[in-house]
Amino acid sequence: MSAHAEPAIDANFLAEETRRYHHFITLALWLAVITGAEIVVIFLPLPVALVLTVLTVMSVGKFFAVVLWFMHLIYDARLLFWLFVAGMGLACATFTALIALFSFERVDTAWFS
Amino acid sequence: MSDSAAAPTSTGIDHKKLIMWLFLASDCMFFGTLISTHLLYRKLYPTGFTDAEGHVRFVQNLFDIELTSFSTFILLMSSFLMALAVSAMHKGQIASFRRNVLGVILFGLIFLGCQVYEFTHFYHKGLTIQNSVFGSTFYVLTGTHGTHVAIGVLWLVLLYFYSFTGKLRGHIGALDVEIAGLYWHFVDIVWIIIFTVVYLVEYLGPNGIWGSAVATITP
Repeated sequence: MSAHAEPAIDANFLAEETRRYHHFITLALWLAVITGAEIVVIFLPLPVALVLTVLTVMSVGKFFAVVLWFMHLIYDARLLFWLFVAGMGLACATFTALIALFSFERVDTAWFS
Repeated sequence: MSDSAAAPTSTGIDHKKLIMWLFLASDCMFFGTLISTHLLYRKLYPTGFTDAEGHVRFVQNLFDIELTSFSTFILLMSSFLMALAVSAMHKGQIASFRRNVLGVILFGLIFLGCQVYEFTHFYHKGLTIQNSVFGSTFYVLTGTHGTHVAIGVLWLVLLYFYSFTGKLRGHIGALDVEIAGLYWHFVDIVWIIIFTVVYLVEYLGPNGIWGSAVATITP
């Protein structure tokens, strides 16, 4: 027997990994389909607000699909999920604050004069 | 059982993995500010850019949606291969890990090649980092992402060669690969957002979402 022999892998763990493997394949197909749909939808003669909403939903869906399955957050410790959500939340809050700050056309500039 | 339950730490999570998630959370904020800056300046300066001959150019005419879609698809599939590489490592299948990682490296290099081509093309069309606000925010945002991809490729190349030393095995080896995988997937999710908010939104509406087409034809 080799001095570097690996411990045997638990059968349940192996079954779980195989199940995840199939999830990854399904997810990859969905990601490709959604990306294709994103490209198609921008050329459809639909109202801009509707297309923008659809694009947002699709990209947020892809984002969380990768985070939850490919990055294992759905299987992993809750603490890691909340750590990432905290970073995401701060990024979104910064974005919202900046958009609000720079929406100066809504500010009554007469007030300053 | 969670992936981290076997780790002998007070949180039950391996420290390397915890640190990586903290880094990714902070990188989220970093890219959040870059994306916000780009969108704000697109809103404030909706005209595209002025090339070397003094012509105002519309951003939509500059972008090549086919190329960007192709590179997006490549990056998404690289993420899939990375997930398979991590799975193979968890199962102790080192040969499968090497095959998948080679695929990720190849796809990463194709993505970088597309980005170099795109930057060169834009430069020849007159868009530089200095001649417009759009150029500055666009190159900084996509260039920072490209740098992340390049670092990821380098990391995976090192892991690939490290696997031949025989030291990349067991729980620690799988964890090292998983952490590299987290970084790679993060690069992918950032691109998912960039693809939508930088590229796709430019095609919305007859005048572009920022009204830039109207601005370009105004004397």
